[in-house]
Amino acid sequence: MTNTSHEVVKGPHHSGDAAPIALSAHSITKRFPGVLANDSVDFDVRAGEVHTLLGENGAGKSTLAAMLCGLYQPDSGYLLRNGQQIALSSPRAGLQHGIAMVHQHFRLVDRFTVAENVVLGSRDLPFTLHRKSIDEKVAAVAESYGLPIDPSAIVGELSVGQRQRVEIVKALYQGAEILLLDEPTAVLVPAEVEKLFENVHAMTAAGKSIVFISHKLGEVVEISDRVTVLRGGRVTGHVSGRGSTDTKELARLMVGRDINLSTQRASHATGHEVLQIRELSLTSDGVDILSNISFNVHEGEMVGIAGVAGNGQRELADTIAGLISPTTGTISIGGAMTTDRGPIAARELGLAYVPEDRLGMGLVPSMSILDNLLLTRDRHIVVDRASVRPEATRLIEQFEIKANDADHVARKLSGGNAQKVLLARELSGGRAATKLLVVCSPTRGLDVGAIETVRRLLDDARSAGQAILLISEDLDEIMSLADRILVLYRGAIVHETSGEAAQLSTVGAAMAGLKTEGAA
Amino acid sequence: MRAPFRIIFEQRSETPKYLSAFVPLVSVLAALLAGAIFLMATGYSVGETYSNMLQDGLLSSRGFTDTLGLSTVLICTGLCAAFAFQMNLYNIGGEGQLYIGMLGGAWAGLALGPHLPSVIMVPTVLLVGAAGGAAWIFIPAFVRSRYGTSEIVSTLLLTYIAASVLNHFVYTPNSFFRAPDVTFPMGRTVADSAKLTAIGDTRMYPTFFVIVALALFLYWVVKRTEFGYRIQVISDSPRAAHYAGVNARRTTMQVMLISGALSGLGGATLIVGEFGKLDQGVLLLGYGYAGIVIAALARNNFAAIIVSGVLFSGLRVGGDKLQITTDTPIHIGVMLQGAILLFALGGEAFRRYRIRAVRMQAVAQ
Repeated sequence: MTNTSHEVVKGPHHSGDAAPIALSAHSITKRFPGVLANDSVDFDVRAGEVHTLLGENGAGKSTLAAMLCGLYQPDSGYLLRNGQQIALSSPRAGLQHGIAMVHQHFRLVDRFTVAENVVLGSRDLPFTLHRKSIDEKVAAVAESYGLPIDPSAIVGELSVGQRQRVEIVKALYQGAEILLLDEPTAVLVPAEVEKLFENVHAMTAAGKSIVFISHKLGEVVEISDRVTVLRGGRVTGHVSGRGSTDTKELARLMVGRDINLSTQRASHATGHEVLQIRELSLTSDGVDILSNISFNVHEGEMVGIAGVAGNGQRELADTIAGLISPTTGTISIGGAMTTDRGPIAARELGLAYVPEDRLGMGLVPSMSILDNLLLTRDRHIVVDRASVRPEATRLIEQFEIKANDADHVARKLSGGNAQKVLLARELSGGRAATKLLVVCSPTRGLDVGAIETVRRLLDDARSAGQAILLISEDLDEIMSLADRILVLYRGAIVHETSGEAAQLSTVGAAMAGLKTEGAA
Repeated sequence: MRAPFRIIFEQRSETPKYLSAFVPLVSVLAALLAGAIFLMATGYSVGETYSNMLQDGLLSSRGFTDTLGLSTVLICTGLCAAFAFQMNLYNIGGEGQLYIGMLGGAWAGLALGPHLPSVIMVPTVLLVGAAGGAAWIFIPAFVRSRYGTSEIVSTLLLTYIAASVLNHFVYTPNSFFRAPDVTFPMGRTVADSAKLTAIGDTRMYPTFFVIVALALFLYWVVKRTEFGYRIQVISDSPRAAHYAGVNARRTTMQVMLISGALSGLGGATLIVGEFGKLDQGVLLLGYGYAGIVIAALARNNFAAIIVSGVLFSGLRVGGDKLQITTDTPIHIGVMLQGAILLFALGGEAFRRYRIRAVRMQAVAQ
């Protein structure tokens, strides 16, 4: 077990080491109520390099980035920009020093054009805007970094990858020399990630510094010149040299122990059909959310639904769970029709549902673990908590939930433990023994240790003969877990493949809406 | 040169338990302080006024029983406001529901009273009053649960209509509720079987104990029953309620009707108790509005409402007697009531935030 000691792994030195240090942070400490988010962290980035901040959720990487761009102010420690001490009281102050952040959730006005969004917030705007000259200026900036973009396009009509490019162009237009990219690949399909990386190379070639924030090991190794690993608010390691590090070492620095994320797709016989969906369509306000979906999930089978966020995944899950009535089509669980019969009827037939939104939908934040267990169960007129308590205590132990006791309030659980509570409740059955488990983004936002546990639990459930529908935006997860993969694009299933035969490029293309041979 | 300290307002990670009692207490004291400033500015003795109020409201035996007597209706309206608050619903119209409850109780007392014995009649008056309060909130409850229409506006506006309805029945000549053969418009006293007698020579009625028991019962309902569980799920996260198949629409309806019934019940306690008739005087007393303050002071905890209801009632009784014994204006009581609400709501901020002075960081070079 690695502890708090600084561990330095030396790799072959990259030629960029000679470049001057553009921005450095020295013994930065930041405290939030009850949390030491950064504990005397040192960090620096040179001109023309990509320096990655790697860490699990809650490791303090976003907090550090927020202080580098002026969003937060450190409790102690200081920043040097080209060797000069600076104090950043706001993001605008950061921008004046050439530091800009591209947030994970874009801050763009959908109804404005690209150019309007880019110049928005610039100080030196004239009273009236000359659209043409602005368009030209924006296009010129974009092209100089190889970021082709149509300045007169409406942002609301762009794809996620294009919108991200607008954010980057905006930062460059405002004169950024140092760009902080906060989990930039989280929202992108594989092809878009590739394009983003090309852009990053173009920017570093032009002498810009990139601070790349991520917890995805594969891409970190691919893009970074140097990597700084954070764990629990402290630096646990520096690694330098592109491509020279192995992901295992990084994972160990990140988590503090060896981990194993690869689950084995069990060779098992699948049984009867548990979930049957026939020609399911959902229209809302004249918009087709789901169109003509049909598929089955069998006993002991895990079917993965891949797709970029917002292509109908949530609605599909809610419809199966009986929360939404489909416009047309039918759903049956274990041979019994559940269409239009509501969530309780579906649960009585063996449905369990782990929604994407853990706190606020799957769990009631202000309630205890015990009360949250009761949420999907049959409660008597006078709630008999005493009789449920032994089971709650047993589940806390069995699912290794870190909580004081069954009265621990859900809001105070970490993301991983909240997810374990949710899985514990759903897998242990309530109104009926669980036959079908619908899970949405089960590992999103979790740290590596929790991801490992959650995947093992899903695997165990499959081995126990439960039918599982795994809906996730994390393509790697689906590729490594699912027996069968369906790709959802604009509410329709556009591609189907077995888990073993699935190819990243084909599935990725289907997710982006490109026609493939396997199209259904 | 920068100041060596700066004051920051930071979020608490956890609310200490003691603050739940501390904040209401301090808000009462702060309100008294604000009242003291007012008294001084207008030339009254602060010490004398407050000691008179305390004596007349809580410390003398006469004052104390008067306070408990008045607290009966105030606890009802406090429960009314707090019950709706449980689900983040704002029933501002407890005042109007109280009028209609009084009307319903008076009707039962007048129409059925002569034919029924007291043991049946008194509960009947109370139940009809509660039904009246529930009926008065029915429209706001229906449109809120079905269409999401703001209950704040609808319940408030219905209060003005309720006041007119009550006036109508008292003022209209030959009205069923109006006392005949009297020139001055006033309500007709209900049958004796519909009235309780005061305990001893106090102005306190046995209904006080019934209402206290009711408050404790509601406390239990919210903490221990499936109904209370449902209320908590819906108020905390409506989406979790939807997920679990909890019928939010029906529960909203139920909660609002119960809330209205509690105020209506308060109105009916006035019929079986002190008033004994439909009395337009109730329009000036603001018992329903006081319930909102009582609920806020008790932080919507039903058991604590008993305490804040009695405390509040003491302020009213003490304030009212001031007018009689000294020449201090009666409005000091009402003013304190408003000030307490203001400080209690303002004090909420301190439960979630704390003020801290931090030393500015030394700039390392």
